[in-house]
Amino acid sequence: MAEIDINGEVIESTQYIVVKIDDEQYGIDIQYVDNIVRMQRITRVPKAQPYFEGVINLRGEVIPVMSMRKKFGLADDVETNKTRIIIVKTEAQALVGIRVDEVREVVTLYDNVIEKRSYDKNKEEANDYLLGVGKNGEELISLLNINAVIAEDI
Amino acid sequence: MDTSQYLEIFIDETKEHLQSLSDHFMVLEKEPDNADTINEIFRSAHTLKGMAGTMGFVNMQNLTHKMEDVFSVIRDGNMKVTPDLVDLLFRGLDALEAYQDNIINTSSEGDETNDDIVNALISMKEGKPVEDAPKSESAPKAEEHKAEDAAPAASGGDNAAKKYLDISFADFEKNAIKEADEQNKNVYGITVYIQENCLLKAARAFLVFKELEVLGEVVKSVPTVQDIEDEKFDLDFSVILITDAPEKEVVAAIKTVSEIDKVAIGKLNVSEIVDGGAKAEADTKQEGAQESKSEESAKPAAAAAKKAKEDKKAPAKTSSKPVVNRSVRVDIEKLDDLMNQVSELIIAKNGLVSVSESETASTDSQSFTEQIEYLERITTTLHESIMKVRMVPIESVVNRFPRMIRDLSKKLDKPMELYMSGEDTELDRTVIDEIGDPLMHLLRNSADHGIESVERRQELGKPEQGSIYLNASQVGNNVVIEVKDDGGGIDVEKVRAKAIERGTITEEQAEAMEDKDIIDLLFLPSFSTAEKITDVSGRGVGLDVVRSKIEGLGGDIEVRSKKDEGSVFTIRLPLTLAIIQALMIELGEEKYAIPLNSIETIEDVAVSDIKYVKSKEVIHLRGTVIPLVRLYDLLDFPPREETEDNITVVIVSKGDKQAGLVVDNLIGQQEIVIKPLGKYINIEKIISGATILGDGEVALILDANALV
Repeated sequence: MAEIDINGEVIESTQYIVVKIDDEQYGIDIQYVDNIVRMQRITRVPKAQPYFEGVINLRGEVIPVMSMRKKFGLADDVETNKTRIIIVKTEAQALVGIRVDEVREVVTLYDNVIEKRSYDKNKEEANDYLLGVGKNGEELISLLNINAVIAEDI
Repeated sequence: MDTSQYLEIFIDETKEHLQSLSDHFMVLEKEPDNADTINEIFRSAHTLKGMAGTMGFVNMQNLTHKMEDVFSVIRDGNMKVTPDLVDLLFRGLDALEAYQDNIINTSSEGDETNDDIVNALISMKEGKPVEDAPKSESAPKAEEHKAEDAAPAASGGDNAAKKYLDISFADFEKNAIKEADEQNKNVYGITVYIQENCLLKAARAFLVFKELEVLGEVVKSVPTVQDIEDEKFDLDFSVILITDAPEKEVVAAIKTVSEIDKVAIGKLNVSEIVDGGAKAEADTKQEGAQESKSEESAKPAAAAAKKAKEDKKAPAKTSSKPVVNRSVRVDIEKLDDLMNQVSELIIAKNGLVSVSESETASTDSQSFTEQIEYLERITTTLHESIMKVRMVPIESVVNRFPRMIRDLSKKLDKPMELYMSGEDTELDRTVIDEIGDPLMHLLRNSADHGIESVERRQELGKPEQGSIYLNASQVGNNVVIEVKDDGGGIDVEKVRAKAIERGTITEEQAEAMEDKDIIDLLFLPSFSTAEKITDVSGRGVGLDVVRSKIEGLGGDIEVRSKKDEGSVFTIRLPLTLAIIQALMIELGEEKYAIPLNSIETIEDVAVSDIKYVKSKEVIHLRGTVIPLVRLYDLLDFPPREETEDNITVVIVSKGDKQAGLVVDNLIGQQEIVIKPLGKYINIEKIISGATILGDGEVALILDANALV
């Protein structure tokens, strides 16, 4: 968290890691990111939730990996050179891997450029994962509520 | 005195003494005249009193003091043990345990003075002196002698403290002594007592020897110098010293070494030794007998009491046998760390193994393989050693049960006895910590609902006294614990009726179910938690909790029961939790591990031999019908056509049930480290964890128990 002072007003800011999933850009609060690793062999776990791809070995620990595409009901993952697994440390101190198409950059967003999530009854389901939308120059970044994404069970 | 550093030792020793008291009270209840037991109790109470006093736990000291008083009257034969007294003693014991718990939690004993118990003990002691009580004759005389010495008011120069008097000499030693005498040198016998809480006895003894060697020549020591260096002695050792120095100087020299409790010294009667007297007599004048107490009187007395107790175990022989197990206390967390590191090492080793296997044959590969094998041996032994360090005898859990059954027997007014065997069976520390409650639960169940009332037992022609058995033993890689009773057994019909009534099963289902399956219903949560069903011949309260706990430890539980003959609950637990031997198998492109301890055999079965029972695949193997489990289908692989004529079947078992797991390929046996799969991912029971293979790949571990 950083703060700036514009005209005596204190505005908080947060750093996000910008990732690409399908055609959209998402931001993940950097404080929850433990590590980013390249795509590696994932061991399938039978009978787990469908959006879990399986488990990987991260320096001797076994860590489950979920696919954001599967979670969001998008087209299947295609492994490319840019595919990454973001290792997230949740508030419960557990590690979970999140498979994304690409990791773009780290941005600092101030609260005044973030449009907080509004409750929309019709789109409630999709909105649960989002904290809001941030503007980075011309681009829009959907800010993920990463703990909700991981913890929620469909 | 700052006693905090001794607190841990105090707590440990208190536990031991309280357990010993409890055991002996139980004996005493049955054999009120057992002199050995009375002596043991007296000693334990006395030691406890001394320790509590030293640590400043006044209430505890007071209570044990009163108990000891009562026992000193009993021991002198002036009072008999009555059931009332035993009950009172047990109450006292509970109070002492409460003190101990307080001390563990807050390092203070609390304010409870337990006046009622203390007063009851006092009036017991004074109120009921029985004349003409039989003297406790069976107690060895020497022992009594020493026990008296253990009394707080032990007279300073008692010969019992002078163990050196018991030393016998070899010829060359006699010659040396004779020579010294002729040269007008002093020959002293010295017995040095080290403080009970001394942690480095051997070091202290070594320092004493160093001091003595400055003054003169040590001709003999009991135990031998080697044993003393190896700490193979209790709290005292005796030496024969030839010196020019006067007695005072010798004592002063010894006392420069710290943590010495007291020194008993006396001139030896040389002529008697040399004249072949097997035992050296004391210098009768006793003028030189010096005794110096570096602490309050309770300490040496306690030490002496302990010594007396040890003496009884190894009568008269102060020689090389170690009396006390040499041990080091280690924080369990340190062991866990060590264990983790060994796990890492095994993973690294497996990595090397897989590299060596994939390497194309080069000139070096021979020696490389040899080295790998060497490393493999070392890691395996290392792992076994660490596991052994973590092993604790099950005794530490079960030794409180006899008391519990005794209390239940009184409370329920049903005579019953608990017979235990295999208390020395060892289990991993983590398992030991968890297993106490389930066992207690099963025993309570047996006592409360299993054993019938006296009238009912008479009707059935059974002995009036019910029997409950707790047997532990190691079977292969498992520890099996049996809780057995000769009570009424489980009334299957009642359970069946109850299950239908509660809607757990339908009537049709009930018809089709075998008795065994009906009994298994008792383990269902819905069956036991909702309301009390003790009317269903008893069983059922909380058995689901017992089962889930045991399964949480990687074990399982089975029950067999016969009406009016009794029930047997059999618990099977794995010896270790973290690292296991497993068979690696292949399914499609994936690898899985099956724990070796659940595997019976591996069979090659022709597809044409597969039979069908109730449209399920089975095979016939050496007279048993074994259901087949197609892992490929079970684990959600994409469907495929079967092309092979033969299939590989891994036969796994759980209790007396078996199943055949159909696999594609066998890879081989491997030592694997069990890792959890992490949070958030839901896994079915058939997968018990994951492991990391040599090449860094993750393989899942199949729980054979869930497949049978």
